[in-house]
Amino acid sequence: MPQNVFNKAALIGLLALAFGLPLVVRSATYLHILVLVYLYAYLTTSWNLVGGFAGVLPLGHAVFVGIGAYASTILFLQYGISPWIGMVVGAIFASIVGVLIGLPTFKMRGAYFALATIAFAEGFRVMVENIDYLGPFNINGPRGLQIPPLDTGLANFLFSTKEPYYYIILVMLVVVLVITYMISQSKLGYYLNAGGEEPEAAMALGVNVARAKLIAMAMSSFLTALAGTFYAQFTLYIHPKSIMHLDLSFEIAFIALIGGRGSIAGPVLGAFLLRPVSDFCRIYFGDVLPGLHLIIFGAVLILVMIYQPRGLQEPLTRVWQHLVSRWTTNAMGRAGT
Amino acid sequence: MIYILEDTINGILMGSIYGLTALGLTVIFGVLKVINFAHGSLLMVGMYAAYWTVALTGIHPYLAIFIVAPFMFAFGYYLQDIVIKPIFKAEKDVREPITVIIVTTGLWYILDNLTLLVFGPQYRNLPDNPLRGKMLEIGPMLISVPKLFGFVMAILTAAAIYWFFQKSRMGRAIRATSLDREAASLMGINQYKIYNVAFGIGTAAAGIAAVTLVPFYNVFPSVGVLFDIKGFIIVVLGGLGSIGGAILGGIIIGLIESIGPQFMTATWTEAIVYGLFLVFLFVKPSGLFGAKYDW
Repeated sequence: MPQNVFNKAALIGLLALAFGLPLVVRSATYLHILVLVYLYAYLTTSWNLVGGFAGVLPLGHAVFVGIGAYASTILFLQYGISPWIGMVVGAIFASIVGVLIGLPTFKMRGAYFALATIAFAEGFRVMVENIDYLGPFNINGPRGLQIPPLDTGLANFLFSTKEPYYYIILVMLVVVLVITYMISQSKLGYYLNAGGEEPEAAMALGVNVARAKLIAMAMSSFLTALAGTFYAQFTLYIHPKSIMHLDLSFEIAFIALIGGRGSIAGPVLGAFLLRPVSDFCRIYFGDVLPGLHLIIFGAVLILVMIYQPRGLQEPLTRVWQHLVSRWTTNAMGRAGT
Repeated sequence: MIYILEDTINGILMGSIYGLTALGLTVIFGVLKVINFAHGSLLMVGMYAAYWTVALTGIHPYLAIFIVAPFMFAFGYYLQDIVIKPIFKAEKDVREPITVIIVTTGLWYILDNLTLLVFGPQYRNLPDNPLRGKMLEIGPMLISVPKLFGFVMAILTAAAIYWFFQKSRMGRAIRATSLDREAASLMGINQYKIYNVAFGIGTAAAGIAAVTLVPFYNVFPSVGVLFDIKGFIIVVLGGLGSIGGAILGGIIIGLIESIGPQFMTATWTEAIVYGLFLVFLFVKPSGLFGAKYDW
């Protein structure tokens, strides 16, 4: 069969597998782990919109996670507004913040943007950690906010089992991947690509590179904040050190970079490969060798940057193409590529 | 009134130490044109080196400089040579080597967590510290001796590096490379060796800062993170690549941190520092003394 049909069929098969998994895997622990893997895949794919497509290096993305989580949680706990609505509110706010960060820094060297994102993320976290009340909103500072698991149900985004969370994050992941694909095929995608590689040439052709990057940043922060709300509703406890920590920002960036930024499958691949490593290290080596997974991430990151700067998805994609070409026909109707 | 004066002096002293920690960062940026995100971790390595030197040999903490500084120079030299040089070679034609930033961030994580693994998370300070709590009395004011020493070291180190760059042959080669890599290599300068030396100098500066910090600052694996972020703020304030700017930027931060709490809570002073950083980034990214690059 032709190659693109095979690829599409494989994709559909994968989706069917993902949607059908909870029918086979019943253990709550495994579902929990899978939910976290999907969550990281979602976060890294959203990160990819700025870090990969726009070609800059945001190292403070956790701040958007935090904004989304805190916005929806505060609205829910204090005013009883459904987290679904709070999600959107938080995302809009995060989007504005993202644009504010990007406006002045996109004109400068990449390193300045990275610094600005770190400074912003850390500044925000320090403020949230030390404030108890911001106007009428109870932020509760270092004690964090806890969501009591009452009134479960779809309207309140609270469930007593893991399956609904699994499906929600899976749908979110699929949606964000579709968005990424559509952007990559659209004019915006080409603008971003051109702007990332040769900004002067792109601008000479009339491409408003800065605006394209800002649009990407707004989208990325919006999507990331949605994940913040999901995390809040999933773990029922948010706290500046867990949600807005620099470690989280770096983990997202590292995974996306190792997987391959700028590609669609790269970040997802990175999440699927690296999150289990992280959990494995924490479970088996947690007390003896703390922080082992971060050492491994760092080492893998450096090796990947030296030998495969486009990420691990490049050799893996080549292997896939090779396998597929043996089993299918190409566009001319012949076997092989 | 006296308190304001004492605070101001303390702010200047501590600020100059901050400037010393950021000195290596600005040197590395000035020559390699990359922001070394691992600088805080290098500082942390220096602090552990100083701690162990004193703990194992029992010499006076300040004499440890003669062991720590050369060690840090070699550490930085070979770090650049083995880990970062391949990236430079791969990205020779790229205008801004972003991948190097990624690699230094990875290095930051490896160093911090490796130290955590090997030495454990406990806070350490020197057991028999001859300088602990030593104060100098000038009239009604109390000035901390370790911080005074840090101030002196900061000025001396900055002056030494400046003199080295201005007068020595290697220093001139380094300045040439930082101005124009290709022209410098046309003149017969091996740019990668220059990078190694510059990185070594930056790391050695961090080592000197570490030695001045150990007598009064706790040593633990993530101690570098705070200084790393402060270091970024300082070099942006003072101007990337400017040695005097780093010290001045540090002093500004030190003054804000010591005078600020008189008027508001300490957490808001931190917010002010971050806010000032962002303001500078947006309004004058080249800082007070930095050169204007083409953005």
